[in-house]
Amino acid sequence: MALLELDDVTVRYGGLTAVAGVSLSLDPGEVRAIIGPNGAGKTTLFNAITGHAMLAAGSIRFRAERIDGLAPYLVSAKGVRRTFQNGGLFGELTALENVLAGLHTQVPTGFFGVLFGMPAARATERAATSRARGLLELMGIGHLADKPARELSGGQQRMVEIVRALATRPPLLLLDEPAVGLAPAVREQLLGVIRRLVREEGIAVVLIEHAIEFVMTVSDRIVVLNDGKVIADGTPAEVPRNREVLEAYLGH
Amino acid sequence: MPGAAPVSVVRVPTLGRWVFLLVPLLVLPVPFLVNRYIQYVLNLILVYVLVGVGFNIVIGNLGQLAFANVALFGLGAYASGILVVHAGWPWWTTIVPAGLIGALAGILASLPALRRIRLFYLAIMTMAFGELLRWIYIRAEPLTNGSMGLAVPPPVLLGLRLSSDRSKFYVFLVLVVVVVLLTSSLLRSRFGRAFMAIRDNELAAAAMGIPTDRYFVLAFAWSGFVVGVAGAMYTALVGHVTPEAFNLLELILHFAVVMVGGLASLAGSVIGAIVLTTTPELFRSFPGVQELVLSFVIIGVLLFLPRGLVSLLARRWSVFHERYYRE
Repeated sequence: MALLELDDVTVRYGGLTAVAGVSLSLDPGEVRAIIGPNGAGKTTLFNAITGHAMLAAGSIRFRAERIDGLAPYLVSAKGVRRTFQNGGLFGELTALENVLAGLHTQVPTGFFGVLFGMPAARATERAATSRARGLLELMGIGHLADKPARELSGGQQRMVEIVRALATRPPLLLLDEPAVGLAPAVREQLLGVIRRLVREEGIAVVLIEHAIEFVMTVSDRIVVLNDGKVIADGTPAEVPRNREVLEAYLGH
Repeated sequence: MPGAAPVSVVRVPTLGRWVFLLVPLLVLPVPFLVNRYIQYVLNLILVYVLVGVGFNIVIGNLGQLAFANVALFGLGAYASGILVVHAGWPWWTTIVPAGLIGALAGILASLPALRRIRLFYLAIMTMAFGELLRWIYIRAEPLTNGSMGLAVPPPVLLGLRLSSDRSKFYVFLVLVVVVVLLTSSLLRSRFGRAFMAIRDNELAAAAMGIPTDRYFVLAFAWSGFVVGVAGAMYTALVGHVTPEAFNLLELILHFAVVMVGGLASLAGSVIGAIVLTTTPELFRSFPGVQELVLSFVIIGVLLFLPRGLVSLLARRWSVFHERYYRE
């Protein structure tokens, strides 16, 4: 059974159709790249999946359940997590606190328990804190835990954001340009992280990326978007030979 | 980083919960060392500590330009005064109702924000809310005694008449400690983290499973509760509630308490309350100079210490590092 199914998804902003009837389906544990020129509708497609953009038509199913029309926090709670193109960290919070915020739904402390400092609420908070610290250490960035996010380098921020998105062990992770601006060594490391997630946790990953060699190495399949439409959907071996893709990219 | 030596995590000691007991213990003997006038000023500081702590939740932690604070303060003060004068309730039983009225008004003030009305729009709407209430205080004469103001008898606590400012001081101190302690617990929890996540990146907060609208309302409600309690204390302190006490100048004072003390810092609110309450009093005998000095304090502090006076302390002594305050 498909993990995520998009059927004829259409998103309009005013008169502009940003995503025009996109259908695709993703299996558990699959890595899918979405590529395409700027303005092709890649990020809008992510926003449609996570509930940040309204659909004008079509439907989105996650584990056979309709998720279009749900508020972003509900989509997230169902197990669809994402990172943001321009960095989505909470700048004033430390790396650790960012991951803790990512664990929000899994720190089930109640208002009055917190207010009156009940032992149960404190224990829950402590457990979440050590779990968040553990996750950062697992990704090799434990030493950044107590630094405010805004003081981290671009690459470090990207890693923290991925850890934060993964904290709840979601079945589906959406990465918006994870490799852009990363040094080659950090990019390698990120590649390793994605592969490990897929292999060990069975997480499915959809990533928007411009770095073509990164896309070629990491993905099982590649979707090419142009003007809001899917113009190609195939393996890394097939897609570069597609005529429409060459036209969209090279303009002839 | 691959190959990087593991850096040992140095945890900075932060403002521990013991300060909530230590500081009040230190000030316990103070009323026996000062005259009646200074005692009054100390009581006023305690009122403004809660004014600042409450306001700081909305502008510092939630990061919203919402200026309903004077409205919340006035409603708390009037709620307490009206319950004492017209319903004959002893003052201490009006504290929680004043807080709840403040919370309700806070929720009301958060509603435009839920309709994505933010920034300057939210600022002017919440300020208009305060002015509207002032109009109501003046017109609702049977309850408020209009622009003449409501005279409230000395506060009563469990049958005891708190006629001296010294006795009020101890009651206020307990109230401030309890409310600040509760607020600290809230801000250190996932609730407080959600407020700050919304402040720093609302879209990402929602993508983390945080129901942002609910936390908006919660932050405004708790802020309103704290400021409403401050209102009840104000009524007990001055014994005379007038519409003029809740004008735009008062709002500027509230704003300055938070900014001069330090945005998103509990210790900052305390420092801000101390500085902004005592500065005008120090220059009371020089008419016209008060406002000048106050303006210079605000401008001077914010010019050199944009994160407030508390950043000066946090830089020097690590105990002033609060968990969610960043210089």
